This record gives sequence, structure tokens and C-alpha cells, in this order.
Amino acid sequence: MTITRRTLIQAGVALPILSVTARAQSTTGILRFGLSASPPNLQPWVSTGASAGTVKLLIHRSLVAYDSKGELRGELAESWSIDGDGAWVFKLRQGAVFHNGEPVTADDVKWSIDQMAAETSTAYMKGQFQAIARVEIADPRTVRVVTREPVATLPSWFANYNTFIIWRKSQANEPIGAGPFRLVGQERGTSLELAPFDKFYKQGYPKLKGIKFIVYADENLRNAALMSGDVDMIEYVPWQSMDAVEKDPRLKLDSVEGPFMDILFNGSKPPFSDPRVRRAVAHAVKRDDIVKVAFFGRGKPLEGVPVVEGTPWYDKELARGWNYDPARAKALLSEAGYANGFQTTMLSTAQFGMHKDTAEVVQQYLAAIGIQSELKLPDWSTRVTLGGRGQYDIAIHGVSADNNDPDGLTVVLDTSLPTTYSRSFQLAAPRTAAALARGRGEFDQAKRVQIYKDMQRAALEEVPLVGLAWRSQGYGMDRRVKGFTNLPGALTNSSGGMLEETYFG
Amino acid sequence: MTQWLLRRVAVSVALAWVVATIVFLALHLVPGDPAELLLATGGAAPDPTIVAELRQRLGLERPLIEQYAAFLGGVLEGDLGKSLVDDYPVSSEIALRLPRTLELILAGSLIAIALGIPGGAYAGLRQGGTFDRIASATAGLLLAVPVFVLGTLLVLLLAQTLRLTPAGGYTPIAQNPAQHFTLLALPAVAIAKGLAAIIFRMTRASVLDALSRDFVRTARGKGLSPRRVLVRHVLRNALTPVLTVLGLQMGTLLGGTVLVEYVFNWPGLSTPLLRAVEARDYPMVVGIVLTISVLFLLINLIMDILYAVLDPRVRAA
Repeated sequence: MTITRRTLIQAGVALPILSVTARAQSTTGILRFGLSASPPNLQPWVSTGASAGTVKLLIHRSLVAYDSKGELRGELAESWSIDGDGAWVFKLRQGAVFHNGEPVTADDVKWSIDQMAAETSTAYMKGQFQAIARVEIADPRTVRVVTREPVATLPSWFANYNTFIIWRKSQANEPIGAGPFRLVGQERGTSLELAPFDKFYKQGYPKLKGIKFIVYADENLRNAALMSGDVDMIEYVPWQSMDAVEKDPRLKLDSVEGPFMDILFNGSKPPFSDPRVRRAVAHAVKRDDIVKVAFFGRGKPLEGVPVVEGTPWYDKELARGWNYDPARAKALLSEAGYANGFQTTMLSTAQFGMHKDTAEVVQQYLAAIGIQSELKLPDWSTRVTLGGRGQYDIAIHGVSADNNDPDGLTVVLDTSLPTTYSRSFQLAAPRTAAALARGRGEFDQAKRVQIYKDMQRAALEEVPLVGLAWRSQGYGMDRRVKGFTNLPGALTNSSGGMLEETYFG
Repeated sequence: MTQWLLRRVAVSVALAWVVATIVFLALHLVPGDPAELLLATGGAAPDPTIVAELRQRLGLERPLIEQYAAFLGGVLEGDLGKSLVDDYPVSSEIALRLPRTLELILAGSLIAIALGIPGGAYAGLRQGGTFDRIASATAGLLLAVPVFVLGTLLVLLLAQTLRLTPAGGYTPIAQNPAQHFTLLALPAVAIAKGLAAIIFRMTRASVLDALSRDFVRTARGKGLSPRRVLVRHVLRNALTPVLTVLGLQMGTLLGGTVLVEYVFNWPGLSTPLLRAVEARDYPMVVGIVLTISVLFLLINLIMDILYAVLDPRVRAA
């Protein structure tokens, strides 16, 4: 019998000297992945969060997906184009089958779209899909999507992880998809097990022999599980642990800046119904302190509309439109008739440290220009409800755009959309909303760039939200884990799809 | 006796119903809408029309009294309902996870007894000795350190730094017994720490008390061997209060498991309870709380019966 670390433990003889070199290693080709939250459910069209999205991206497929650079690539559709009438035409790939062996046909695509757009649907993309006038089946491999208005960004709808194509004869609670993995086992709230689908349409994929997702809700324990070798990979490396993961010779960190923190306003009543007061708030906060305090330096100040640097829509001047300038903030307050400041309340949540820490920093900087705010930090569930009902004055929030096209910012900037806790409440920003709508209907790239720069100018004046800080979002993994890419910007939450290409090297 | 027992059982059932009702009402009265929360998972912005659609589907639009009546009717038929989040039967969740929580409590109690009683007895017999001083100080320290602090330190030291144990998790005993007990060790120790300290103090005090009693002096005077005096007279009399404390502490242990299960990722009953509270998953929260309450009442009932058997004066009262 060989003496291993485990037998020593079982015998009650723990020798630290041995254990430093020994380490649990996955030799089975099955990736053990630490999830940050338990997927509430795996409904293919209902939004139930990014952790659920990670699993859904692996067991289901849609017409398109994001590649490692964050560009759209064909999946169930091999090509797509806009025809003379302004409709989007998708050509389906040959040889794609669902997990039950049935071929993926134009009928399944049409059925899935119709289900999402149905009156009684609870699909995340219901609003967008209701803009579709009809779905035509030209032949078994060609689907024509006709919209009421021209929509330049329609293909990206199908890259969202709540927009999968499902076999049209699936039972209500057993959706059958066509992804590279099959769900073979799960324990509610604890773990999920995936096995490769042998008839997946891409030769040689997936590369892993399986994936076991284990839920670690506590961030420190999730990180401890990575460090101790219990798992091969984790999502959401806590900011305070990123240094340790980078320094560990056995591990590597892949992080991008995508999600961001922002300030939301209740625009239905004074003082925040006045855009000058909102602009005063925007100029009052020193962002560096938020990056330091809430994110341990793992982030970047955000002094404008949250447009990712390095994209065509980014403008260096506009990106500093709300620079830290307390004198200007005070002048704006005086102009609005609040020379002596005022009392208000600030809603956030104590359930997530980054929300609470950000709120505390903002509170101090607002006090410096005369705005005294009382912090309200209930649990997350209460914060969501109060936000949705508009029972607040200022709210501190963390959010991500839908994708890296500026159209993906609609969900956070367009305050003409129905009220929700993650957008400002009943705030008038008509020029921003109009520019977003123009950009969505424009197909010419040069014109779109112009439109979205105009949108940023409008938003800087109308202040539908105040950007505070980009935050880093990191995956930590064993050095032997290869082929995974953390997708850029807002797409980081969709990186789970990359596990299809991941392998042990 | 029978009449007394029936009365006690009736009171327990009534208490369980009161607890279930309070939890049901309290949950519905605090802000937070399960439909909105489910659709807002991960910071998504749910459209109010979709939220309304889901509320309709989950039956949340019905008047509260109607929902309450449906819940009570279900409980009387032995049906605790289904999760609002994924339609999973509440009773299946409890059936799967309650044994694990009980296992943790049992393992913790055994460790606490194994450490507390011999340690307390020895410290009592050698009052003021080196062992007594060190052990008493340790017990005081253990009582003062919060369970999650100890748990986090254990993970940091044994899993993250020394890599001796997994950081947490669970393996079914049928799958790999050795790993099952390896994973059980840390959370059981964390849960045992407070109880061990209490049992240690109680045993020590009881032994000191027993040693000064007349019957012990008499026994010694009769020339019985010190060992026999200790076992037959001192310990037997000293253990009765210890058992009482153990019964009383069961409730505290149930509460302590919430933190311990979280820190060590032990998939007992606490994780789904916490998650269900966060998601305002009414049926799941009420089902789990009801189960824990019934368990608690059952333990108390058993303790009462034991006392009644031991002491007729209880029944008369």
C-alpha cells in the first residue's frame, strides 16, 4: 500500500510537510468548477442570473454565440444577412441535432421565437421579440425574421443566454437543447454534472470529459476551494484574493473590466427631478476612492457613460464628462436653488460588500458639497422591491450592459422603459432614449458611431445615471486549464460558453 | 399520565401551527416579491409585465387568506407544497437535507461529550491543577470565539495553507465513506466547540459539588476504592445536570448549524433556508421552519416525558 496524504488523514496522522507538495488533482478530464450562486432554475428563456447562464450556455445552443474576442459567430445558423426588405435571414447549419437525436430545423427556430414572444411568456427577451412581426420559413434550412421597425442589432439577441433554440415538441418542464453538454445529474442548490454530447455538431468539441459545477455561495470559501485544489476553476474571484491567485505558481487569473457601479435617481420628485442636481452629484464623487475601497484597486474610475474603452464608440473627452470637480458641483447646486445643500436618503444593500462600500464613499463626497444623505441598507430582496416601486431618493447599484454594442446600454440608460430597480425611477431623459432608438435602427457603422457619441453627450446632460467605477471580474483557475477566455467587457457573464473549448493541458 | 401526555402533545401541535402562521405572515409582510426577485437574479432588469405574468402563474395574485388556507390545507394532507423558484417539492428537499443537518448535530454532540465529560470530571477531581487551569481557560476562550470565526480559521489553516483537508463540501457516505468523514470533521468540530465548553464547565461544577456531598464522604469512609466512589457515586450524580444541559442546548445547536453549514458548504437544511429567504420562496421557507420547529418541540417533549418518568412531581404540576 502506498501512503498517500488521504490515508494519513484517515489514520489521523497529518504531516504538514507532505501536504505542501501533495495536492488533489483532477486526472479524470472532468473539470470541477466553483459557481458563485446556485442556478434558481435552468429555464432556457427566463433570466435567472449569470450562474444559470453559464450552465445554460453549455447545454443549449442558439443561432449565434460569442467567440473568444466577443464577436458573433455562427452556431445553429451558419450565416445571416439582411435582405432587400430589411428582414434578417438566417441560414441553418447542416447536421445539428438536439440531445434526443432530432435534427434542428427551421420549425424549431420559429417555434422557439414564437414561444418567447407569446403574450403569456415570461422570457427575458419578450419585449424585444414582440417587435418581430412574423417569422417565415422559406425552406427547412432558412428562417426569415421580419421586424416592425429595422433592427440593426437583431442577431446579437440570439447570443444572449436567455434565447436558446429548443426542440419544438419538448415537454413544458423538460426543454431539449442542442448544446455540447448534457445535464446528467444535479443536486438542487449544491452541484450539477454535465457530460459531453457525442452528437454535437462541431467535430472534436467539447474537449472536456465532463464538468462538475459545485456551488460555493461564500466568496472566501470559493477561493479557498481553488487554493486548496478542491476545484480546478472558479468564477468571481473575490477582489481581495486576486493578488493571491496571481502570485500562486499553480494558479492563474483571467480578469476583465465589464460590470460597473452607478448612482440611480428617483426623478419623479425634487430635488433629483432637476438634471442640474443630478449633474452636481456626478461631479461630486472622487472615483479613485471607490476603486480602492470597494474593489481593492481591481477596477477603473468611470466618469462618464459606461462605454468600454477601445471600442469605436469610446470618446476620450466624453468619457471624462463627469470628472471630479467639487467647485462645479457646488455651482450647479446653487444654480438649481440648493446653495445650502439638502437632506436626502441613499438606498443600497448591506448584503453585498461592494454595494455598501460604494455607498459609504459616495455618501461622504456628497456631504462635502452639502448633500446630507442617510444610508438605507436593507437586504437585497427588499432593496429590489423598494427600487422597483421608486421608494428611494438616490440608489447605489451595480450592473452590467447587455452586450458591448452601445445598444446593450439601453437596459441601464433608457428611462422611458418600464420601471425596474436597476434603472432610475421616472426620470426624464428623452434625448438619450431617442438617440438609443436611432442607433438601433441604423445599419451604417460610421453613422452609428456618430449617433452614439450624440447619445453620450445627451446622457451627460440628462444624467439618467451616474457612472462610478468599472469593476474587475475574474476567473481563477489551475494553470493546466487551457482554452478558456474571459470575454471582454459586458460579455464577461457569457464566458461560460467558452468551457466548450476548455481542456486540461 | 396518559392525559398529561395528550395535553403536552396538543400544546406542541398548537405551537407548531402558531410558528408556521407567524412565519407565513411575516414573510408575506416584508418587502420582496418572489416573482420579481427570480427574474431580477444577477442584476437583470425584469419587465413589469413579465413579473405580473409570473405572479399570476405562481398564484401570488390570490388574496393572502386564500393562500394561507391553501397552505394549511396542504399541511393537513401532508403536502408542504412546491418551491416557487423551480417547482421542486418542499418535502423532497427536506427529506434529502434534514438527515445531513442531524448528522452534523449528532457528530458535534458526540465530540462535545467525548471532550467535555472526561475533561470536566478530571478538572473537577484535580481542582486548581495545571490541567484544570488550562482546560478552564480554553473552555472560556471557545465560548467567546464566534463559530464562524473558528470555522473560517480552520478552513484558512487546514485547507488553504496546509492543504490537509478539503475546504468544504459533501460526499455521500455510500459513495466514499473515508471522504465523507473527512468532510464531516471540520464542521462537526466547529459545531461542537460551544457545547464542549458548556459540558466541560457543567461536569466540572457537578463533580466538585458531588465531591463535597455527605454520601461521598460516607462512601469513602466505608473504605470503597476511590475509583468505585468516583464511578458509582460522584459521576452518576454529576451527570444528571449535564444531560439537562444537553437537552437545552439542542436548540442552540440547530441555530449554530446555519452558520457552520454556510462556512463549510455543508449541504444541510440551512443553505436552502437562507436561499429561500433571500428569494422569498414562501413554501420552502415555511416548510423548512415548520420542520425545524416540530423537531425542536419533539426534543422538548421527549425531555419532558423523561423528567416525568424520573420525577412524579412534574406530572402533578
